[in-house]
Amino acid sequence: MDIKAYIETGVIESYVLGMADAQEAAELLQMARKYPEVQQAIDAFEASLEQQALASAVAPHAHVKDSLFTILAPEFKKEDHKTRLVAFGWSRYVAAASVILLVASAALNVYFYSQFKSTSTAYQALLIEKNSLIADNQQMQTKALDLYNNMQMMTDPSMIKVSMQGVPGKENSLATVFWDSKSKDVYLLPNKLPQAAVGKQYQLWAIVDGKPVDAGVMDACTGLCKMKNIPAAAAFAITLEKKGGSPTPTIDQMYVLGKVG
Amino acid sequence: MEVVTKYSEPELVQLLRQRSRHVFSYLYDNYAGALLSIIRNIVTDEELANDVLQEVFVKIWKQIDSYDSSKGRLFTWMLNIARNASIDTVRSKSFQNSRQNRELTEDVHNAGGSSETKTDHIGLRKLVHNLKEEYRVLVELSYFQGYTQDEIAKMLNMPLGTVKTRLRTALIQLREIIKP
Repeated sequence: MDIKAYIETGVIESYVLGMADAQEAAELLQMARKYPEVQQAIDAFEASLEQQALASAVAPHAHVKDSLFTILAPEFKKEDHKTRLVAFGWSRYVAAASVILLVASAALNVYFYSQFKSTSTAYQALLIEKNSLIADNQQMQTKALDLYNNMQMMTDPSMIKVSMQGVPGKENSLATVFWDSKSKDVYLLPNKLPQAAVGKQYQLWAIVDGKPVDAGVMDACTGLCKMKNIPAAAAFAITLEKKGGSPTPTIDQMYVLGKVG
Repeated sequence: MEVVTKYSEPELVQLLRQRSRHVFSYLYDNYAGALLSIIRNIVTDEELANDVLQEVFVKIWKQIDSYDSSKGRLFTWMLNIARNASIDTVRSKSFQNSRQNRELTEDVHNAGGSSETKTDHIGLRKLVHNLKEEYRVLVELSYFQGYTQDEIAKMLNMPLGTVKTRLRTALIQLREIIKP
């Protein structure tokens, strides 16, 4: 059989262009399997047809692809996503890096926050300590000032000092009255007196014309306790009385006694 | 970002059968324009041609399993799907419109075999216009309008043998024109 002549009959072009009938097509495929030249001629025409079509390509409307992919969306393989992920590899790394940065940043935030918390707590503690130190200091200053004032008073030349010794049975007790000879103010210094029992209070008496006159009860005070103003007195004494004091002294509860002058 | 991978035909076919969206997208990007040029040769209305193109790609997707590489290239197979879909569209439209409305394709038969053209031809059909008149008519009727050789013989009042021989000669000439 003349293969060259067969190739030139146009049956190949007719087949490739889809115009050959079933019998012609079957015959051609048989020939192609038998003769490589026939197959080569088929391949060559197919290739040039494809080249020609590609060269005269017309851009389709953009919406065609969109709607096509919308229609076929349910039919695409799921893992196809993977291919795209590989294609967008760089963005995957960026995403991974972002996540790492986020986690690192969050960890740093937690760290800094805990640091801030402990520093803040320490600061608060220091603040409280400072305030209490200031308060203590003020108290000490007040006390020092009181003591200074007391000392000034005690050393004043017009101040009469009356030392009161313990009465028989209370020999260990001692108290001192400072009596301003000008203003007649009386100050008491409890040098050595037992702790008053609950509901009891020490009371100072001025002995005027042989009679006891109430000179006030002794409250808790630093240094000198200011008592009542006594214009004149021959002696002073202290008794332990019920809280708030008594109108007359309980003699058997006398602790100290001292004469003026 | 586009992946600039080139796929060989067997790879394309295999991946399409595996239902790869990515490869289908690649196929569309690389061949839609070429297929549209052949569709536009038959369906001259631009909107309608784009509709046919969509239909053609749905067919490619659905029928990829029936593609047989021993019978030809993938592109040849797709080209034939495009041609058949286009002819079907023109025929159903022509039937609906009873040929009263705007003609959707150049009707060579009614034009009495004259060489006058109504549209700006592109691609293959443009090349067909370079053929001698007696050949051009046969290619127009058979390839672009899908008439069988029997139908053409009756239409042109020509013996079937003559139609067959002339058409074959026309295709050989066309092959030479197409050759790069």
